[in-house]
Amino acid sequence: MIEFIDVTKTYEKNAKHALQHVTLGIDKGEFVFLVGRSGAGKSTFIKLLLREIDVTSGTVKINGYDISRLTKKEIPYLRRKIGVVFQDFRLLENKSVYENVAYAMEIIGRPQSKIKKKVPNALEMVGLAHRMNHYPSELSGGEQQRVVIARAIINNPQILICDEPTGNLDPDTSEDIMNLLTRINNFGTTMVVVTHNQSMVDRMEKRVVTLEQGVVISDESKGRYDHGFF
Amino acid sequence: MASFNKGSTLRSILREALQSISRNRLMSVISVLSITAALMILGIFVVFTLNIQSLTANVESRLGMQIFLSEDYTELEKTNLEKALMDNPNIVEVTFEDVLDAKEKFSDELENYAILTTDLTGEKNPLPVSFIIKVDKPENLEEVKAYVESHSGNGVEYIRYGDNYVDSLLRFNYFVNILSILVLTVLTIISFVLIYNTIKLTIYARRKEIGIMKYVGATDRYIRTPFVFEGMVLGLIAAISALLLLRLGYYYFFGMIKGNVVIPIQSLLASPESVFKQIIVFFIIYGMALGAIGSRFAMKKFLDV
Ligand SMILES: Nc1ncnc2c1ncn2[C@@H]1O[C@H](COP(=O)(O)OP(=O)(O)O)[C@@H](O)[C@H]1O
Ligand SMILES: [Mg+2]
Repeated sequence: MIEFIDVTKTYEKNAKHALQHVTLGIDKGEFVFLVGRSGAGKSTFIKLLLREIDVTSGTVKINGYDISRLTKKEIPYLRRKIGVVFQDFRLLENKSVYENVAYAMEIIGRPQSKIKKKVPNALEMVGLAHRMNHYPSELSGGEQQRVVIARAIINNPQILICDEPTGNLDPDTSEDIMNLLTRINNFGTTMVVVTHNQSMVDRMEKRVVTLEQGVVISDESKGRYDHGFF
Repeated sequence: MASFNKGSTLRSILREALQSISRNRLMSVISVLSITAALMILGIFVVFTLNIQSLTANVESRLGMQIFLSEDYTELEKTNLEKALMDNPNIVEVTFEDVLDAKEKFSDELENYAILTTDLTGEKNPLPVSFIIKVDKPENLEEVKAYVESHSGNGVEYIRYGDNYVDSLLRFNYFVNILSILVLTVLTIISFVLIYNTIKLTIYARRKEIGIMKYVGATDRYIRTPFVFEGMVLGLIAAISALLLLRLGYYYFFGMIKGNVVIPIQSLLASPESVFKQIIVFFIIYGMALGAIGSRFAMKKFLDV
């Protein structure tokens, strides 16, 4: 599903590499934690996947297709295959929960009839059907993050990427969010989750890829967060 | 793109553009004023040119000639000259004119070519008695000139040709055109920069939405549309303001001229209706294009991600 082949990324000439010779494959339906210290290159990995930035060398493939060959016009269609949940990727305050999720369908031109059917289903899935007409300011942090997740999956992405999805949440709520992500993963969505939440990673017993200064220093199925650190 | 509820989309885009304009009220007003100013300059220039065209297109004005007799002309000289003028087949009209009845005549016959060949205030005219002639075709003008000159004896003081008048009008028009193009260019650049910055502010205010749109996979065109639309709305408002102001101004000017019967040139001017018919479409396109291009440039950097 996702293949990084000898990928190196350098933001500025002569600066240190943000990613160095990263080779990594993620299969369809996998659940992968991406961990590492701040500045290790995790966000760079995600940005390359979304083609927000281009590789300095190497190849990034999705479904076997080298995404560097996509034209600027085709990039939006790549992004429709990938849902994203960012820590700083907030909701629009002036739109209701329903409207925030519906918005993601509207902007890729889905018809209202489809939107009316799908949005309540997605909100049901994240457990917020009863909050449909509320505004983000009336929701708790965990509930807001659920809306963000509903929005990210509304267009049926093949891959869901979460950058620090529980960064601002308390442990119980984080647990709920992780369960939700697991459930989405169980439906077949490939999941890449960047996190600092050590105990969560350890408890989930999923594949863990650890980056350090742009290099993959460990890649363990049923891995632990602390591998190679201490 | 799949089927699309175009009606509601257009309405929501329009609503968002208006909301955004009222959010950036100051910048919006400044850019509208700037485009309005550019269009007003353009409008004055167009009105001017149309009028010059209207005046010069009137071939009669080129075909007129006025032969002033000296103060001490004799009846014989006058009769001979009149006869010579009448004899020339290319001269289709010969009128004898005495300044004393000139004023009256001008206010009656508005379209008389003599208007252009006569000093219109009687007291300024030192040569009160003249023949006003009309040549049949422009190509015979030179020949008639030579003919008239050869037959002007001592009794003739001065000959005034209509085409001198036309030439100086055209020279003046040329100067006005150059000046207008310069001013218009400068104003267009200023308007562009102002629109560009106004839309940048809008983009900044809505950067969160743009981020969401990008990550969900909205096309650049989709993201750009509301901003380009906003620019076009600003341009449209400016175009309409400029048209209204110009129309008002030209009516006022036209009315002023009408009120002055000593200078009855109104009949030779382009009417406000014809002027506005000619500029209305161009103004709206110019205003909206300027707005659209300004916004597109403002969006460019933002979408290059
Ligand atoms: N836009 C950028 N320009 C220059 N350097 C950058 C940019 N983004 C990230 N970097 C650098 O690349 C390295 C990896 O950053 P990043 O991928 O954001 O790390 P992480 O997400 O793991 O904290 C860091 O050294 C960071 O300073
Ligand atoms: Mg990061």
